[in-house]
Amino acid sequence: MKHAPVYLFYLLGIPEHIAEEYRYVFLAVFVTILLTIVSFWVTSRLEKIPKGKQNVFEFILGGLMDFMEEIMGHGARRFLPLVGTLAFFILTSNLLGLIPGFDSPTANLNATGGCAIVVFFATHYYGIKTHGMSYIKQFTGPIPALTPLIMPIEIISHLVRPVSLSIRLFGNMFGGHLVLASFLGLVPLIVPLPMMAMELFVAGVQTLIFIVLSMIYISLALEEHH
Amino acid sequence: MGEEDNEKGKLYRQMGLLSTIGITLVAATFIGLGMGYYLDKWIGTKPIFTIIFMIFGIIAGFREMFSIIKKGE
Repeated sequence: MKHAPVYLFYLLGIPEHIAEEYRYVFLAVFVTILLTIVSFWVTSRLEKIPKGKQNVFEFILGGLMDFMEEIMGHGARRFLPLVGTLAFFILTSNLLGLIPGFDSPTANLNATGGCAIVVFFATHYYGIKTHGMSYIKQFTGPIPALTPLIMPIEIISHLVRPVSLSIRLFGNMFGGHLVLASFLGLVPLIVPLPMMAMELFVAGVQTLIFIVLSMIYISLALEEHH
Repeated sequence: MGEEDNEKGKLYRQMGLLSTIGITLVAATFIGLGMGYYLDKWIGTKPIFTIIFMIFGIIAGFREMFSIIKKGE
């Protein structure tokens, strides 16, 4: 299937066949560089009474922090780097696909799979760090004799989480692009506009659902088992 | 303030959890099937592990669904 060309890479001088082969990798790197530049630009001169761009980002981060405390309770502060990075990366990647001449890195199963695998390992890491080895005991179930029956079921339940996270985000983004491409192939004049508005909405909602579910999984791993 | 926080928090948690139910069922079945298939390829017994793990996957999917609904309450 022929993708729409990403003009940025032709501008940067990357030869065409490499740019088409690794298009999502280049796009993800572009999003990373973009977010890094923005973060350096905002934190370059921090002042105690914020104004301008620092105000905007403090508002965003304060809102995100409150949101996390609503869902995860009071220990939410130490997860802000992980959840904030995921939120910014996924939101920027989703919105990048709406700009003509660009594409979303998250419209690729590898990118969303990467985010989901990070969340998967983070839940187990924080679970073991908080509870020690008794975290493993939840896989054995209440009666030790039933372990060979219960353990595969528990393992499968745990493996479903990154699969569902990655496929949900990938399907929403890729499907959105496909529908938009079909509309543009049929009636390119005004009709794609409501679809692009819907894409904006979907970009935001999918980011929200990804980080809400990540926070739920992490808080599930942290709470007391019995 | 605490009441209102709890309300909004619960709403977002429910929204996030409920969007998972459908894909959990399907993904659990396929993960079980995949695990069984690769276990069969590794060990060599053809259909038995595939079927057993697919059933495990279906059971896991239903268990996940019940626990998600329970958590959403």
